[in-house]
Amino acid sequence: MITTITTTTHWTDVFKTSAGAIYQCDAERCWYVDFAGKVAKFDYRCLLKLRKAVYHIDIEQTLLNTTKDPDVEIIFICACDHCYVLSLLQIIALKELLEGTFVMLELNHILHERLCSIAS
Amino acid sequence: MKDLLRIKSLISTEIEALLNQQVKKEALSSSIYLSMASWCNRNGYDFSSDYFFKQAEEERVHQLKFYKYILDMGGNAISPEVTGIKQEYNSFREVFEEALDQEISVTQSIKNIYARCMKEQDFVTMEFLNWFLKEQREEEYKARRALELFEVIGEEGTGRWQIDKNVGQITYNSEA
Repeated sequence: MITTITTTTHWTDVFKTSAGAIYQCDAERCWYVDFAGKVAKFDYRCLLKLRKAVYHIDIEQTLLNTTKDPDVEIIFICACDHCYVLSLLQIIALKELLEGTFVMLELNHILHERLCSIAS
Repeated sequence: MKDLLRIKSLISTEIEALLNQQVKKEALSSSIYLSMASWCNRNGYDFSSDYFFKQAEEERVHQLKFYKYILDMGGNAISPEVTGIKQEYNSFREVFEEALDQEISVTQSIKNIYARCMKEQDFVTMEFLNWFLKEQREEEYKARRALELFEVIGEEGTGRWQIDKNVGQITYNSEA
């Protein structure tokens, strides 16, 4: 599924890698994940579910797996419109993207807290 | 850029996970006490059985307190799966020894969450946990006192019958 973006709302870059990017939209209070050829919208709950799903994939185990199954993982998130079918390399890339994103969100949180404590 | 994570939830993901772990622990405690109530009842210790029924209820109340707190703070409360509850005990005394072990492990677990809150400066959750810390004083006191009865009364003769009668009367009313 490829979503064509027609809205003019302002997006802030949260984190970017060569494989993809995650943007935050303050007006809609959501994140846009640009990865694997599509841009998907995630709200707070779904982004946390995506992180949990990706972090739970045992990459090492999949690498050591010698069966003939294709190394493809389907990431399906309950109550979310999007689904990813990713190869192992893509999963590693998505994990890196999400890790970076949450570090940046945490950093943003720390900055907000510090600014609040200075302002008060 | 707005701090969207903070807008949605007061507690951090780590604290949320720890609180969910505690929900499970309280549910486990409640089930263990229920199993102890059954064992005591089957073996003729009716007062102790009532005591453990009450304890099971209390643990359930604790579980719901944690559960509702997670939800109120914008987190995701997870209904726990409780399995592997021990149903048989070797002796009357063993029941109380395990009850104390259980309370000690709950206290330790709450202390761990408190330590994490201090690290994150999550004063809101710390204040919430204060009630539990005080509650654990009572819980541990009662469990320890029950075991003390085995020492002071002794199990010989009608000892166990006396212990059973006194277990139902254990109360904690410290002013401290």
